[in-house]
Amino acid sequence: MSGPIPLSLPGQILGPTSANAIGSGTHIHGTQLYSSVAGTLHSTPSTTKTVKQPTVSVQRPNGAGTLLPEVGTVVLGRITRTNPRQANLSILALGAQGEHVCRDGQGFPAIIRQQDIRATEIDKVVVAQSFRVGDIVRAVVISLGDERSYYLSTAKNELGVVMAVSEAGNAMFPVSWKEFQDGVSGAREARKVAKPV
Amino acid sequence: MQADRRRVNAPPGGTTPPVFATPSNTPIARPVRSRQPDEHRKIFLRTGFVPSASGSAYYEIPPETTSQSKTLLIPSSSSLKITCTVHGPRPLPRNAAFSPNLLLSTHVKFAPFATRSRKGYVRDSSERDLGMHLESALRGVVIGERWPKSGCEVVITVLEGEEDGWWGDAQGAEKSGGWGMMGVLAGCITVASAALMDAGIDCVDMVSGGVAALASDERGNGTRIVLDPSPSEHDIKAACVVGYLQSRDEITEMWMKGNAGVQTEALIDEAVKAAVMTRSVLGEAVKESVELKANHTDRNVKEKGSANDVTMTG
Repeated sequence: MSGPIPLSLPGQILGPTSANAIGSGTHIHGTQLYSSVAGTLHSTPSTTKTVKQPTVSVQRPNGAGTLLPEVGTVVLGRITRTNPRQANLSILALGAQGEHVCRDGQGFPAIIRQQDIRATEIDKVVVAQSFRVGDIVRAVVISLGDERSYYLSTAKNELGVVMAVSEAGNAMFPVSWKEFQDGVSGAREARKVAKPV
Repeated sequence: MQADRRRVNAPPGGTTPPVFATPSNTPIARPVRSRQPDEHRKIFLRTGFVPSASGSAYYEIPPETTSQSKTLLIPSSSSLKITCTVHGPRPLPRNAAFSPNLLLSTHVKFAPFATRSRKGYVRDSSERDLGMHLESALRGVVIGERWPKSGCEVVITVLEGEEDGWWGDAQGAEKSGGWGMMGVLAGCITVASAALMDAGIDCVDMVSGGVAALASDERGNGTRIVLDPSPSEHDIKAACVVGYLQSRDEITEMWMKGNAGVQTEALIDEAVKAAVMTRSVLGEAVKESVELKANHTDRNVKEKGSANDVTMTG
């Protein structure tokens, strides 16, 4: 125990439930709160009046905090196919900067529906002018979806395509909120561009 | 039987292993247990050695160096080397039905060279059996409802397995009471637990494996209960493996073989004691890996290998 942040291992008692509120990475057995992952222990004081106890949580040391996409998680994904109503993608990493990379395998399947692509004039959105297959997209999870796909949205300025290649195969850079430019030929292509953060 | 056409197969007639001649006056004596009956062999456990998997661990019981092993090339007693990788939580395959819980699957495979009797490339019944035992040990500890529509695969490769008897004993090698399997299962439970922790999958506790055996006493003519038996050192009558949760005092998996008679309960208690010893090593190894990762993300330390190796007594 050398680090300044206290560590916690699964099965470790964190205190009685009367004095602690349950947070992420913990579970209740009997009257005690137990840790359920190996990680660093955090206690945040209560902000509401109804719950007086501090919330005790254990965070995994991987940076993102979660291993699965949850509602509100910002994710990075690659577009796998598009059609006029929706774009399919596979989630490659969790976190706005890709803090947790989804290793082993193909990534979690997800869908961006036409009406979730941007916040304004949603009935005039054209999927083909927003995403192309192979684009890397930053998006937020809005629903855990059906048995297959997560539902994502890019209806915010900082969400959208972050990396794209042109039809000629060259890397492109964003020039406006709806256009990328080819670095070699100078040709412009329409995308739902993410505001650089 | 049809030969496997996807692999380079051994000659159909079998091969003769090289025999290293020893001087005829070399006494080949059965190894004797040098540690106390309630003493565990030393365990080496380390997590995170496969970067491409979400979680991984390596478990080893190093071979004991005795005076006899210096005169012979063949080690007198076997040791244990197990690797485990955890893949997941990851999306279910396309054709799978919706599942609100984590789908856990376990695969145990012996390397062809793991034991003196060679294993095939395809999992045989004993390996599938070990996989089932391991799955029930882990099922009781993983909090499955936190991982909807995802799966998790625990893959274990046994690089060196415990023998079922002493190789010098002509029947010992042949009769195969399956005692080696018990030690392997206990190791599998511990290493899988460490790999699950490394992957960050929610568990109610750390499950650890322990094994104890009822063996005939070398000094007298009765029997005694020994922890962590090495089958080459003992004449085992019965053995018991448990997967034990220390903080809850629960057993998720128990496997008993042989007839222990009235000593059945004592045997289980000793196996639990062995599991408690293993857990201390497991706890240290997991703590070490968390510290390493926390430092890695905090200060962006690049040198992962600079951490100290851990060898601990059980």
